[in-house]
Amino acid sequence: MSREYEAVYIFDAGLEDAAINDKLAKHHGLLGTQQEITLDHWGRRQLAYKIGTKETGYYVIARFHAEAKVLPEYERSLKLDDSVIRYLITVREHDLGAPPMTEEQLAARRKTDDDDDDEE
Amino acid sequence: MRRQKKTCPITEAGIRYVDYKDERFLARFITDNGKILPSRLSGVDARHQRQLAVAIKKARYLALLPYNRGHQA
Repeated sequence: MSREYEAVYIFDAGLEDAAINDKLAKHHGLLGTQQEITLDHWGRRQLAYKIGTKETGYYVIARFHAEAKVLPEYERSLKLDDSVIRYLITVREHDLGAPPMTEEQLAARRKTDDDDDDEE
Repeated sequence: MRRQKKTCPITEAGIRYVDYKDERFLARFITDNGKILPSRLSGVDARHQRQLAVAIKKARYLALLPYNRGHQA
């Protein structure tokens, strides 16, 4: 079954932009997805704390659909890549769970909460 | 006297899913030292507090938020 994943990579900020794009293409090539991979380049930013000696990193966010069985190899290649300071792969959860409550439901909920208070 | 009922700031903002990448938003729910703010102080409801805790931990791993502040090595 194919699922939607979201991956955040932190690359070494010293890398050229072209080198980062090459690396992304290489890692994403292992996924074997036909659908397009949505990339969001945040670019270089200050890290909230030092990782090793590094104080800045190049952030990239990728969203893609992939089969679960291709993930171990993809993750292995990320792990072995020294220019990737950190990565985080998550199942995209935005659409999971119950649908959001509508305004009316929220209003009704608030009303019942108030009623409970009166009884106290 | 009736105690003012706190409303959840995340529900109020109409947020369904707490995003770990939005560190500006998450920063509102950590203390100056970087601890997760308890829901009794922030008024966040239980469901959102659970999401928030996981999101803050992910953001810390990605160096978007500090694990602690005022303890630079």
